[in-house]
Amino acid sequence: MIYALAITVFMVGLYAVCCKKNIIKIIQGVIIMEYALNFFIILLGYRKGGIAPIINKITDMHTFAAQSVDPLPQAIVFISILIGLGLLALMVALAIRLYERYGTFDITEMKKLKG
Amino acid sequence: MISITIEIFLIFMLIGALIAVEITDLLYSVISIGAIGFFSSIGFLLLGAPDIAIIQMVVETLSLIILVRATIRKDIHTISGDREFFGLLSTVAILFFFFLYIFKATQTYPVFGNPVMSRISDSASNIYLAKGLKQTGSPDIVSAIVFNYRFLDVLGANAVIFAAFLGALAILRQKAKKKQ
Amino acid sequence: MINPFVFIALPMGMAFLIALIGHQYKKSPDFLANLTMGILFILSAICYGKSTIYYIGNWSPSIGIPLVLDGLSGLMLIIINFIGFMSAIFSIQYIEKFYTSKLRYYGLFLLTIAGLNGIVLSGDIFSIYVFLELASISSYALVGFGCGAEELEAAFKYLIMGTIASFFILLGIALLYGATGNLNLAAIANVVQSQGFSDPIKIAFIFLISGFFIKAASIPFHSWLPDAHSSAPSSISAILSGIVVKITGIYCIIRLVYNVFGATVLISHILLYIGLISIILAGIMAFMQTNIKRTFAYSTISQLGYVFFALGIGTPLAIFGAMFQLFNHAIFKPLLFLNSGSVDYQTGEKVINKMGKLNEKMPVTSTSTLIGSLSISGIPPFNGFWSKLIIIIAAVQANLIGPAIWAIIGSILTLSYYSKVLKCCFFGKGAQFNEEKWKSFREVPGLMLIPVITLAFMCIIGGIFIIHGYNGFFGRPVKDIINGPLWYIQSVFGSYK
Repeated sequence: MIYALAITVFMVGLYAVCCKKNIIKIIQGVIIMEYALNFFIILLGYRKGGIAPIINKITDMHTFAAQSVDPLPQAIVFISILIGLGLLALMVALAIRLYERYGTFDITEMKKLKG
Repeated sequence: MISITIEIFLIFMLIGALIAVEITDLLYSVISIGAIGFFSSIGFLLLGAPDIAIIQMVVETLSLIILVRATIRKDIHTISGDREFFGLLSTVAILFFFFLYIFKATQTYPVFGNPVMSRISDSASNIYLAKGLKQTGSPDIVSAIVFNYRFLDVLGANAVIFAAFLGALAILRQKAKKKQ
Repeated sequence: MINPFVFIALPMGMAFLIALIGHQYKKSPDFLANLTMGILFILSAICYGKSTIYYIGNWSPSIGIPLVLDGLSGLMLIIINFIGFMSAIFSIQYIEKFYTSKLRYYGLFLLTIAGLNGIVLSGDIFSIYVFLELASISSYALVGFGCGAEELEAAFKYLIMGTIASFFILLGIALLYGATGNLNLAAIANVVQSQGFSDPIKIAFIFLISGFFIKAASIPFHSWLPDAHSSAPSSISAILSGIVVKITGIYCIIRLVYNVFGATVLISHILLYIGLISIILAGIMAFMQTNIKRTFAYSTISQLGYVFFALGIGTPLAIFGAMFQLFNHAIFKPLLFLNSGSVDYQTGEKVINKMGKLNEKMPVTSTSTLIGSLSISGIPPFNGFWSKLIIIIAAVQANLIGPAIWAIIGSILTLSYYSKVLKCCFFGKGAQFNEEKWKSFREVPGLMLIPVITLAFMCIIGGIFIIHGYNGFFGRPVKDIINGPLWYIQSVFGSYK
């Protein structure tokens, strides 16, 4: 159920990317997809009653290894968030220039390419 | 208990996403995006990922600044409209079947709170948790993985950010083509 | 033995260096980028046929990231760095004439190459994703490099389709991690072998493969490719058609299907039919185009259909045909795109009907275009003939007579639209031919002719790679592909000490 909810948020983003005709809405759709995916990956690594994967002096190693949540999905999300930032910067730069060229954010009015 | 909390958070995220996608006012939709990011950040904190929660907050703030810079203009406040009706209908139908498929897919997964490392004993995470401190000297296993075991990924991600900003500068330069 | 890490670190470091000093020293981007590509090409030629595995940080393959240089990666490295080198030489004068800001151009160019080398070398599915994003993001920016209305529109389209594909791939990686507990390709292959093709793995595989099919632009997902490849600067079109589509799409599919999951009957059929549909449909669409670069772009989809078709057949001879066709396509498609750039350089025209009689003014460009066109249409004795012949023989041997005839029809279709281009632009006149403008045309400068002549020469002698069949030049890659997952697991884990 909880995975399906995360996927639903992903699908809302995909819907915005596929069906909206405004560039800003498309960019927002991409951001929503990214957030949902990151959340989904973190969900995959959660252990019931788990603790954060940071060792402190009180816990000993065996209970730590048995209790901690999965650290690898967190590492993946770390990288994926950084990549998402770069992607957003490029998308926004393209959107600004497209607005300068066409005077609108509407992609149905951008039809200089044909064939 | 935690699963109900997370479900509530996800429902908030879903509502935020729907508002962001459907509202016509640009500023409000950008703020809704911020709200989704905020909820996911708190969610990360609850799910035992404090590092990711912090970095999500930082990156989200940056993203919002970039987005507001791009969207909020003097001459444009509201936007409206989907694509043509039949195209929209067919796309939504395809997306719906796709969604049903993924929904079915997630049913084959084990229930929430049962990560793969507890099922597969030789998975990489077990080694990280058991030997991470000894091998790398970092008490934070996530940064041990990111900056030591999987250093190549960070190198790649840095190059991605560099490429994106180089690309953004290239796209934004005023005089791009020489006169013939 | 050369450390494979050089192939990632050198272009990345040079891109940083160019961004740093490019403002002060105006000639440095040209010089540094060409020097880097030259070194990389020589290194990749030295590495070919050898296999080595470099464990970054000396971690064991399941917890660290190994760089795996085997036969298949070696072949891909040669293709990437050779075509990159040719395109870099061509760029010196081409970019100088049309575009400003050369240092950003070369910075993005080298980052694309670094990303592609990373995809090919990495033995870890998530770092493949990271490098895929590196290559894709740099190429989105390069497609929009001209900042004109069409370029930006194409770049945005490309970015959105590419991002959807990337997210599918990331979702696939997440689901795969949830099912196998590993990110290393060999470790995943190990789990898949022991656990079987269970439902969660199957679902993850479907997401991964559909993402890579979007990146490879096979027919149902092709809409972004003609726009992106025809709007980019011609040297970048050569890179995109010649290597980016192949590495981000086809290489990843080959690696996943043959070395990780193992080729099942269903997957082979999907590859076979997607290939067959692409061959004919994209060919018909190419025939209808009036823009020279759009014709070439649709032709890429059609020609890569042969690779998918051959991979779907799956016999050793067919795999050899697929590798040979992939290699040949990486030779003649950049040649054609670079020539379209030369034509653009002199005439400023991309529409077929407005050109004509260029063979009198630009003999080298016309001759090499003729060679490239004959080669891509499968006329003997050029290299394209041999690869298509092998694919068709393999199809007949596998009792696929209908598909074989279908592929021959596709080849005839290819000949028809290339003869249209040749007749209108080079050896005849288009409908709107302008005599006045034509008189001032000259051959392009010598530096732009070097890569064109080299590639045309490769087209002529390319047939020699057929000697010894799948034991010859392509022996190692073909062996690596047909050896399957068990061999891959063995080679990655076996050499770790």
